[in-house]
Amino acid sequence: MHATIQKEMDVILTYLQPDEKIYVVGCGNCAEKCKSGGPEETEEMAQRLEKKGVNVIGYSSTPSGVGLCSLPMCRKMMIEENLDENNAADSFLVLACGQGIHTVIDATDGGEVHPGCDTIFGGETEQPGIVKEYCSLCGECVTAYTAGLCPMTLCSKMLLNGPCGGAKDGKCEVDKEKDCGWHLIYVRLKDAGKLHLLEAYYDPKNFAKWSRPRSLVVKGTEATFKSLAGEHTVSRED
Amino acid sequence: MSSLKEKLNNGSFVLTGEIGPPKGTDIEKHLEKAELIKDKVVAVNVTDLQSAILRAGSLATCHLLQQRGIEPVYQLTCRDRNRLALQSDLLSAWILGIKNVLCLTGDHTSLGDHPEAKPVFDFDSVHLLKASSILNSGKDLTGHDLDGSPNFFQGAVVSPGADPIEPQIIKMKKKVAAGAKFFQTQAVFDVEQFGEFVNKVNGLQVPIIAGIVILKSAGMASYMNEKVAGINVPDGLIKEMKNTEKSDIKKKAVEIAARLTRQVKPFCQGVHLMTLGWEELIPDIIEQAEIS
Ligand code: SF4
Ligand code: SF4
Repeated sequence: MHATIQKEMDVILTYLQPDEKIYVVGCGNCAEKCKSGGPEETEEMAQRLEKKGVNVIGYSSTPSGVGLCSLPMCRKMMIEENLDENNAADSFLVLACGQGIHTVIDATDGGEVHPGCDTIFGGETEQPGIVKEYCSLCGECVTAYTAGLCPMTLCSKMLLNGPCGGAKDGKCEVDKEKDCGWHLIYVRLKDAGKLHLLEAYYDPKNFAKWSRPRSLVVKGTEATFKSLAGEHTVSRED
Repeated sequence: MSSLKEKLNNGSFVLTGEIGPPKGTDIEKHLEKAELIKDKVVAVNVTDLQSAILRAGSLATCHLLQQRGIEPVYQLTCRDRNRLALQSDLLSAWILGIKNVLCLTGDHTSLGDHPEAKPVFDFDSVHLLKASSILNSGKDLTGHDLDGSPNFFQGAVVSPGADPIEPQIIKMKKKVAAGAKFFQTQAVFDVEQFGEFVNKVNGLQVPIIAGIVILKSAGMASYMNEKVAGINVPDGLIKEMKNTEKSDIKKKAVEIAARLTRQVKPFCQGVHLMTLGWEELIPDIIEQAEIS
């Protein structure tokens, strides 16, 4: 999921012109789990903005469990269900991640948008309201060698061949509250009797697979991932 | 030919020193520190934005040392440069006559004075060693021929006081496989622990230069114990510092550094003296350590 946190009201207000007609859009999936833009927070934001004198002409969120970042679902909400209000809006304040913001641009054929949230990372939802980052979306997963733990994310220096000399009591040099990713990897590999995986050499990362923007196109059983490293097609048929 | 390499290869016990470039352009007094120890050490390390604090560059400073007849060890970290810049700086260093390079990961940007900087870490230290080895072979990392190639004597670092030590040793082996020809260690204060470490890595057959950091006060020792990874200053040493009159503190610092040097000598091929501005004490340390 994409973790998001609402921007401060003072910041949001700087984006809006006096008398601008605003439509607030929320997301029933990730943003709901982060309490930053689910149906409840969307309604709440509309009310908070009105209290600040903003001309809010409507609001809606994709239903609980449905991501705003699905263009068909976003279109359904924006065009099929709320067309009049959307047509009347000067702009959309989007309480969702950056993907959701762009989905609103697409769904409204180039509508004007404002970000209502900062998109902070992709993470695991431990429980609603608690999200932690375990993957940096690098494009080529190396966790087969690291006991399932991501060195690109859990190691502050994205090291691939083992720990730096900065760990103290299992904590990283950047923050004594943060576990050293390589300490965690070492302990898990050792427990599993797989320290030979730590002994092997790993080449530098192919950062062309981490270029942006990237795309994925699935046709039948074939999926194609496109990045600056080229097209990478994988078939589900063996 | 690198004198450091020559000395390590013929089994001499080596002494190296260290300076940091200025925060600014006023480099003369930094070079003077190196001049002070010129005849006492085989080479002088130049740190690369140590602790992620902005300073003048290691490469330029190494060049100036070179011009004054002081052999530099060019410290190069992966924090601030991607693989293009790292390889390019290595080639530049060789063009300037620099023969020794110490390949480091580098402290994290967040620890320094520009914590909002983008940390690069395109490479880790093993990759950097390997890249240096590949340049030495006349190619670049992607296999293109070089028009003239370096022949670096490349070293790496290891932290003998790390806990657990096993992953450090595993990484040390990878560094050797990637081309590390010598190691400098994190500061050693606990000689017994250092000896145990050396026994574990003896089979690697690669020279180890023990890091000796000058103790300037009991407070500094406690601070390092608390904050710096891999450093264990025994209580006895802290007490010794505490019981020393202020006026005698430099004498005591020399005495401890010399004693540590004598004690680690049987386990290693040299000592890297990190005197943190007190370079003028190096001749006394050497004399008291009874090495020359
Ligand atoms: S290596 Fe890390 S960042 Fe890359 S895909 Fe795997 S978990 Fe994600
Ligand atoms: S202390 Fe651990 S997590 Fe932090 S940078 Fe070093 S290896 Fe990575």
